[in-house]
Amino acid sequence: MRKGWVTALSVMMVAALAAGCSGNSGKESPANDGKAGSGSSGKKTELTFWGDWGGEGQKQFETMVDAFNKSQDKIHVKYVLQQDMITKFLTAATNGGAPDVLFWDRWRTSLYAPKNVLHPVDEYLTRDGISKDDFYSESLTELSHDNKLYGLPLTVDARALFYNKKLLDDAGLQPPATWDELEQAAAKLTKWNGDKLEVAGFSMGDLGLFNMYLQQAGGQMLTEDGKTNFNNEQGKQVLEFWDRLMNKDKVYKVGFELGLGEGQDAFVTGKVAMLYSGPWMLSTYNKYGKDLDYGIVPPPAGPNGDKGSVMGGFGLVIPEGSKHHDEAWEFIKWWTANKDNALMWAKTSLNLPGFKPSMEDPFFQDDPQWKPFLDTLEFAKIRPTHPGYSVMETDALAPNLQLNQQNKQSIEDTLKKAQEQGDKMLKDNAVVK
Amino acid sequence: MASMRKVERHEARTAYVFITPTVLLFTVFTVIPVVMALYLSFTNYDVLSQNDWVGLDNYRRLMEDSLLWKTFKNVFFYSIIFVPLNIVISLLLSMLLSRAWRGVKLFRTFYYLPTLTSAVAAATVWIWLLHPEFGLVNGLLSYVGITGPAWLSETSTAMLSIVMLTLWQSVGSNMIIYLAGLQGVPDYLYESARLDGANKWASFRYITWPQLRPTTFLVSTMAIIGALQLFDQAFVLTQGGPANVTKTPVYLIYQQGFNQLQMGYASAQAFVLAVAILIFSLINMRVSKAEESII
Repeated sequence: MRKGWVTALSVMMVAALAAGCSGNSGKESPANDGKAGSGSSGKKTELTFWGDWGGEGQKQFETMVDAFNKSQDKIHVKYVLQQDMITKFLTAATNGGAPDVLFWDRWRTSLYAPKNVLHPVDEYLTRDGISKDDFYSESLTELSHDNKLYGLPLTVDARALFYNKKLLDDAGLQPPATWDELEQAAAKLTKWNGDKLEVAGFSMGDLGLFNMYLQQAGGQMLTEDGKTNFNNEQGKQVLEFWDRLMNKDKVYKVGFELGLGEGQDAFVTGKVAMLYSGPWMLSTYNKYGKDLDYGIVPPPAGPNGDKGSVMGGFGLVIPEGSKHHDEAWEFIKWWTANKDNALMWAKTSLNLPGFKPSMEDPFFQDDPQWKPFLDTLEFAKIRPTHPGYSVMETDALAPNLQLNQQNKQSIEDTLKKAQEQGDKMLKDNAVVK
Repeated sequence: MASMRKVERHEARTAYVFITPTVLLFTVFTVIPVVMALYLSFTNYDVLSQNDWVGLDNYRRLMEDSLLWKTFKNVFFYSIIFVPLNIVISLLLSMLLSRAWRGVKLFRTFYYLPTLTSAVAAATVWIWLLHPEFGLVNGLLSYVGITGPAWLSETSTAMLSIVMLTLWQSVGSNMIIYLAGLQGVPDYLYESARLDGANKWASFRYITWPQLRPTTFLVSTMAIIGALQLFDQAFVLTQGGPANVTKTPVYLIYQQGFNQLQMGYASAQAFVLAVAILIFSLINMRVSKAEESII
């Protein structure tokens, strides 16, 4: 009797284990679930749309998806929130469970497109007569690899200078337009109490903005043949400028903003007078900053009048593994290449849409918050599309910049080491094919 | 006699039936992945499109990977501080809390509580505590006239901050292990030592510490393995910065595999880490044994 029990129990456990292992194959193609005929959806093609925006972002996506679903009766799109989207996509792309549309951080394109997991859309563009001129060419470049385009831009963004109006007015200052003005204003706005920093004139917390300063100094991060290009006069100008701000004018203290989340954000609470930020922060500043009166201007120009900012943003792409490329394209086209829909998206999510004609709307043109970003986008450049670029930036450049900022490494050594380590990382992480 | 053997056989069979699920789980989720990873470390596997045999290329590459060796240096530095402190503090706590006095259970609970917090949640709170201007730690320091550093943002203190957090999180569970170990030390040893006129230090030196050796071995081994696999706290607190001083091997492996799609190379790095853990566990084993012969 007892033996029977034991056997039965272990058989059950093994069965449960086996079921756990094979669970995946049962759910292999969610795209087919609807088609298999759960009745109500009829002949509609079911599309799965993956994104990693939850909360407010999820509502914004669902608003657009619902509007699309109502606009026609052939396709039904469902938004699926995937917290760890890219990791899931990695496994899904190979075992057939890929979604039909993917919300895509554009800089990843150079890493993924060579692996043939994204579906090119050039033919669709030609077929439907969509003009590439309606998009920022930089954002299309970021979605391309090897002269093939892999999706359309959903949002564009770039950093501009946010300033606290009250603090600037009190000090009798105008928003800065050049590096010199920025330095003077930052120095005047900073307040120390002994060795305690009370108001930082200008945020220097994000050394990842080096790229942007380098452009303002007239330089570029990479050479045409994919090597680092900052161990030169331009790179030196940036670090000397930072050195003046940090050590001579003492406008900032290392770690000042770390861990200050939305409600305690240093800019919202007036502890930082000026900082580089992007349109993605507008809703936060407007929501939490009831007492915060702020303005935005394009990034100040460098010593020779060069302007520079870094463009980023998201796109929509079609995974190669999707079984409904055409329908997925219909959805992407409806959302990103239609003036009204792109505008609806912009108003829903407070993002700058990738589609230029929708930016002609008064919603953007007449709003002083948007204008500086539109101006900035005219000269903003994307990050280089080298697949090893982000590694080079975070693991070779940033660590050396941090050592320099903490006065543990000279400017010359910093640039030299960043170049040596950076070039090696670029080489090691170039596509091996 | 015959029936005896029958019983044994029956018991053996039952035992196999009982361990089957666990062994199966172990095989599916541990043995197979490890073997796969070893195989992948000789390929250029990128998860998506390719999986070609590249021989020792990955291992050759990691010889020259200065960042990988830096991450190893980082965790060694971390271990040297973390492991001894962990043992000393948890042992002290357990000795303090091993006697039955009023409220002792409350204190045991207090010291154990941090263990229950998820690493990410704890790290998030600690970012607050360690803020240079508004954090509690520097606030307390300023009362005694010390200007605290920007703990997480300065190269000299970032790793120490992670040591503090991980100690806070891990001494609780080790304290419990030591408490259990202390219960196992027979009282008659102390009694006879007392009769021989041994003082407190002597009874600790010659009774408690040697008796606790298996426990210490367990605690130190787990601490070393945990130290070499440090990830969550470094990920949340500092993202490996500043200047890569808190980047750990696991962090690098994760980044190489999932962000750069170089799973083959990441597997090779993982194997180097596994070998390192093995070596340090063996050393630890030798050290524990060596002590035994001395006393």
